[in-house]
Amino acid sequence: MADVAIAPRAGSPKSQIREATAWEQLKHNRNWLGFWFMLPAMAFLILFLAYPLGLGVWLSFTDTKIGRIGEFIGTENYEWLWGDDVFWLSVFNTVLYTAVASTIKFAVGLYLALLLNENLPLKAMLRALVLIPFIVPTVLSAIAFWWIFDSQFSIISWSLKNLGLITQNINFLGDTTWARICVIFANIWRGVPFVAITLLAGLQTVQPSLYEAATLDGASSWQRFRYITYPLLTPIIAVVMTFSVLFTFTDFQLIWVLTRGGPVNATQLMATLSYQRAIIGGQLGEGAAISTAMIPFLLAAIMISWFGLQRRKWQQGESND
Amino acid sequence: MTDLPASKVDLKSVLSSPARVDHSEGMSYLQSVPRRLVTLYLPLSIILLVLLFPFYWMALTAVKPDEQLLDMSTYSPFWTWSPTLKHFHKLLFESYYPHWLWNTMYVAVCATVLSIIASVMAAYAIVRLRYKGANLVGALIFLAYLVPPSILFIPLATVVFQYGLFDSPLALILTYPTILIPFSTWLLMGYFKTIPFELEECALIDGASRWQILIKIVLPLAIPGLISAFIFCFTLCWNEFIYALTFLQSTQHKTVPVAIVNEFVDGDVYHWGALMAGALAGSLPLVILYAFFVEHYVSAMTGAVKE
Amino acid sequence: MNGLTRRTLLQGGTALAAAGALTGPALFDFAKAWADTAPWKAESGAKLTVMRWKRFVPSEDEAFNAIVAAFSKATGTEMNVFSESFEDVQPKASVAANTGSGLDLAWGLHTLPQLFPTKVLKMNDVADYLGKKYGGWTDAAAKTCKLGDDWLGIPIATNGGYMNYRKSATDKAGFKEFPKDFPTFLEMCKALKANNTPAGFALGHATGDANGWLHWILWGHNAWTVDQNDKVVINSPETMKALEYCKALSDTFIPGVASWNDSSNNKAFLAGELYCTLNGISIYVAEKNDPSKKELAEDTYHALHPIGPIGKPTELQLALPILAFNFTKYPNAAKAFIAFMLEKDQFEKWLQGSQGYLTQTLNAYENAPIWTADPKNTVFSQASKRTLPASGIGTVGEKAAEAIANFIVVDMFANYCTGAKDAKGSIAEAERQLKRIYR
Repeated sequence: MADVAIAPRAGSPKSQIREATAWEQLKHNRNWLGFWFMLPAMAFLILFLAYPLGLGVWLSFTDTKIGRIGEFIGTENYEWLWGDDVFWLSVFNTVLYTAVASTIKFAVGLYLALLLNENLPLKAMLRALVLIPFIVPTVLSAIAFWWIFDSQFSIISWSLKNLGLITQNINFLGDTTWARICVIFANIWRGVPFVAITLLAGLQTVQPSLYEAATLDGASSWQRFRYITYPLLTPIIAVVMTFSVLFTFTDFQLIWVLTRGGPVNATQLMATLSYQRAIIGGQLGEGAAISTAMIPFLLAAIMISWFGLQRRKWQQGESND
Repeated sequence: MTDLPASKVDLKSVLSSPARVDHSEGMSYLQSVPRRLVTLYLPLSIILLVLLFPFYWMALTAVKPDEQLLDMSTYSPFWTWSPTLKHFHKLLFESYYPHWLWNTMYVAVCATVLSIIASVMAAYAIVRLRYKGANLVGALIFLAYLVPPSILFIPLATVVFQYGLFDSPLALILTYPTILIPFSTWLLMGYFKTIPFELEECALIDGASRWQILIKIVLPLAIPGLISAFIFCFTLCWNEFIYALTFLQSTQHKTVPVAIVNEFVDGDVYHWGALMAGALAGSLPLVILYAFFVEHYVSAMTGAVKE
Repeated sequence: MNGLTRRTLLQGGTALAAAGALTGPALFDFAKAWADTAPWKAESGAKLTVMRWKRFVPSEDEAFNAIVAAFSKATGTEMNVFSESFEDVQPKASVAANTGSGLDLAWGLHTLPQLFPTKVLKMNDVADYLGKKYGGWTDAAAKTCKLGDDWLGIPIATNGGYMNYRKSATDKAGFKEFPKDFPTFLEMCKALKANNTPAGFALGHATGDANGWLHWILWGHNAWTVDQNDKVVINSPETMKALEYCKALSDTFIPGVASWNDSSNNKAFLAGELYCTLNGISIYVAEKNDPSKKELAEDTYHALHPIGPIGKPTELQLALPILAFNFTKYPNAAKAFIAFMLEKDQFEKWLQGSQGYLTQTLNAYENAPIWTADPKNTVFSQASKRTLPASGIGTVGEKAAEAIANFIVVDMFANYCTGAKDAKGSIAEAERQLKRIYR
């Protein structure tokens, strides 16, 4: 009877110990699974990001126009751009726009975050209100600014005239300097909430006991900020400013709606110039060259903001990455 | 043992509540009220005023009758006593606005869903599976985020032409994930890291496949993260402009941002009333969504940044 | 989806009531009869997607839609019409040309067909038919659309732009008659500025207005971008004189012109802030249609451009050619539609509806009633005859089209007048860009 018990039951392979099949091993293999899990994301990114990126660089070496296939012309587009005043103006404008807007956004955002970090009533509602400019699509708020900065019907001109401070309407979007100020202002208006709220979250992780200890030791509020708040915030500041610089450098919508790059190219950024040359002017090759030319500047800007405000995780008690 | 003098601050309650949620008055008692007024409330009010004034202006222009809009000497520009719904009427019934709204919603939802699916899988793979080269791929995805649409739109335009997708919402649905996936993968990686590995270990021991673990254990726990990612991606889709401008052509297919900029200018006449009504109506869906999910939105922003 | 949306129905309905026999059974019967005898029979089940520029005069758009509707009904072709703003027409057409889909017909500006010579349907038969029937085409119109002996498109009309001015302001400045030459014109602008009733002409990227007046100034001084052999000759003493003249003029202008697009001067004039500008009849029409602008309408007059030192008219009026892409599935329907539009019964009503905004390019229509209905309209009837093609004295073609599309001349003047560059620098920049296009 024992042999019946010990003999394997027919038709039940599970009771036997056997080697895992190759398929089953594969199914649990990390790399295999990893590949399949990554596939959708990689498919999108390769088809619609990596390939176009390469194609863009290739296009910049051809003279493709809309309506006609181009042929390889080497670095002619770049040589042309090198001698093109409008191109260098757009580079200047982009750098100016990014530098000024990012600096002010950082300063105002940090200030606002510090204000919101104080003991306030209705904090949650205030925070929600502050974020609204960031939520609303850029283009739609740009339209509001378009109206606010209109040369004839601006509410700002009207108010200033009624207060007796100026006599004529300010030509906001028609004067080169004013146009630059206006687009920078609109960009700051839009970006401050993002910087402020993110820095606020960072501020909230700083333990109040540190402040209390410093106050007991006689630190003024400036010293508290400089020696406690700022160093602890550095990792977050680095990330936020990198994003901010990235978005500002490649900004298109705001300029396009407000000034289309005018007047006389005073607010022409590299992104808008690229659109104008490529789609409106029909020179795809040249436009692609301008876009590609953006990449080194972009990398430089990001490197500066990332490494300039380097992550120092050890300051927060964690080990380095 | 010396007796500790009774202090103003209730030490027990301060020490027992976590640092982040601090409802005590903290050190604010050190500042006198007038000082607080000047250094805190005044700047805050000014900043809030500047931030919110354009919306007030938008809303006001949207309900002001046409004659009052351009004539600022007779009518006060800051208020109107005879609001009109004419502009909204023109927007909703005399233009293609419902089409555009539908297009934008449709594109945003589809693109977001696709992106979330792809990022959930990718984030899980990077964080948990830790296959060979996972960190490298993670870094690559981060790098993908650094390639902005204004660099890619020209070659993408030719790609879109080649695949015959021009002037169809499908062009946007397939290209938006390139902007959304890097961000949401990053965000979800952060969320997945907070889920204890032990739960998955148990499931693994019990014989669950990775796929089952993902669907049945990880996802339910990461729902706040998923909601945040969904909302943020949705907002990003609405905010996208350059792809929509380049890839869409006919009026019926346009999305709200692109259409509003073009459609209410009759050659020389700018219908400011309708323009503002359109801008306002275009912002409303997002603001409503945002109002219900503020916390998720903020944690999305800060979560991604902190990682 | 055909062109009869709720919006066009609403507007078409009011047009029906207001304009009487603009459409309705009479037009339809004619259309049917025409369709039966026309040289081009629309294919069965044809669908045409038509892009046109966004109208400045609502009644012109209504008249256009009426024609579209009649054609659609008569030939059974499904028509899908949409409008783009002036500055977007060319890019959209370019994109359609590049993708080989999306549009069948594009009704655009300046020398649009010349931008894609290999992508358009040749229109020789349509041009011959219409030319024979209606007294021939005007010179510039023909030049604008032809490449050699082939018609790349059909010049439907010209948008005439002339001097719009407020008589009260010019009278006050001491000019009973509108100046006829350049020096007097400058005097008048100076006087207008002194009286705080300034003139203003666009220096921004206004496709119609800026190109219009700046080419007039350039050519009036006998300065040209290229000569008859397409050699770049912009760097010349005449150009320098033109620049100086323009600078003197622009110093008298209302501030802000450097950012003007095509609508900006309309806005300013209608708001009573601008007293003299170059524009189509759209300002006058807007005034006539607005009861609150009655005095403004009475005070607005139109005049021909002053003649420059060269001694003859050197106007650049906005040509409005239509082209059909050769990848359209329904070439016969496309040709039939174009011919239909320019037939007397439709075109005269359309001229009427446009209230002077469109000027004919077929000589027979010079006697159309619209030109004598209001004496202030008459000036505009000359637009097609007086204009030069967009290339000046050079050949009309892809290169001239590109030069106009890139606002080379406009930027040259704008750079100098705003002080962004000095005269030599502005000319050098323009020369460089032209040389690249014309190599």
